[in-house]
Amino acid sequence: MKRNPLILFFVAALVGVMLFAGLRNARNNRNGPVNGQIMGNIAPDFELQSLEGKNLKLSSLRGKAVLLNFWATYCGPCKIEMPWFVEMQKEYGPQGFQIVGVAMDDASPEDIAKFAKDMGVNYPILVGKESVGVSYGGVSVLPTTFFLDRDGKVMFREFGLQSRSVFVDHIKQALNQGKAVQARK
Amino acid sequence: MKRNLICALLILLAKASAQDDVGLGPKGPVVKMAPAPTVAVVQGKSATETLSFKIANGFHINSNRPKSEYLIPTALKVGATTDIVIGRITYPEGKDMTFAFSPDEKLNVYAGDFTVDVLVRPLHTVTPGKYIVRGTLKFQACDNTACYPPKSLPISFDVRITKAASGHSRNPRQSPHVHH
Repeated sequence: MKRNPLILFFVAALVGVMLFAGLRNARNNRNGPVNGQIMGNIAPDFELQSLEGKNLKLSSLRGKAVLLNFWATYCGPCKIEMPWFVEMQKEYGPQGFQIVGVAMDDASPEDIAKFAKDMGVNYPILVGKESVGVSYGGVSVLPTTFFLDRDGKVMFREFGLQSRSVFVDHIKQALNQGKAVQARK
Repeated sequence: MKRNLICALLILLAKASAQDDVGLGPKGPVVKMAPAPTVAVVQGKSATETLSFKIANGFHINSNRPKSEYLIPTALKVGATTDIVIGRITYPEGKDMTFAFSPDEKLNVYAGDFTVDVLVRPLHTVTPGKYIVRGTLKFQACDNTACYPPKSLPISFDVRITKAASGHSRNPRQSPHVHH
């Protein structure tokens, strides 16, 4: 049987690429569930204290589409998103949408609260813990934003500042996905 | 057909390479310190050590005096030594820059190369010899679309202390061992 050298080369190269990607994934996964492991699965649950001193458990928001935003007071790009989030909470909140901010910096809760107040934040801000960040893949980039459907499944994840239209699109899909899931029940 | 196969392969390779890299933060260190020159100083006198740092392309860090109380300033912390007094640490002026994420607000940052001067003054009783001074540079980096948690870069430099011309007696209890 005659073997086409071009096909052999292509197959060998493809295997090489897959091995390369696999090794990268193995390396990247050392800090937690990233690279797809978290995508499509139920978001890791946590319970954190809000700036008002109340505990909020993520799973208590089941039934709502959730935008989970990891941010910090020192993060300039995070500051750009926050006014958008305020408007999005107002617009989509009545449809069953909830934004949750998780502050991942070392600033005191008082400083975080002052910052949030200055930004006019109208959604809960939780004081983050490293263990929560690790469960979401390390959160080594701020902002990092997850979009959960009404069942708590992670639909999208965005690193860094994105355009407002990307967020709106993800929110609409998260709201719709939840409805579709609920309709099946 | 060959061209199509190569294109497909390149796309696969690019996808494999780019997959979620952004979520892991910068690939390498954002700030590196150049090898620090040994600073020579006479017992009881002062000298300045200039530390040179390089910030990776596409990144910036806050200056020592950022314009917002929420921003984390770049700060050098030098470990305490018993024989060498660490004096004034002088930071360069930052550059006022605007970024895509902050078009209306100028941030005072370092980008590219910058230096930090450290004044050292060994006590006049210190035994002449070579000493190592250690510390950390704390900084918080961002690029155009994201920020990264604060980091501490270990730094060190050598101080070679020579004997004063006259007038000071040597402290026999001290030796020129490396001090941390």
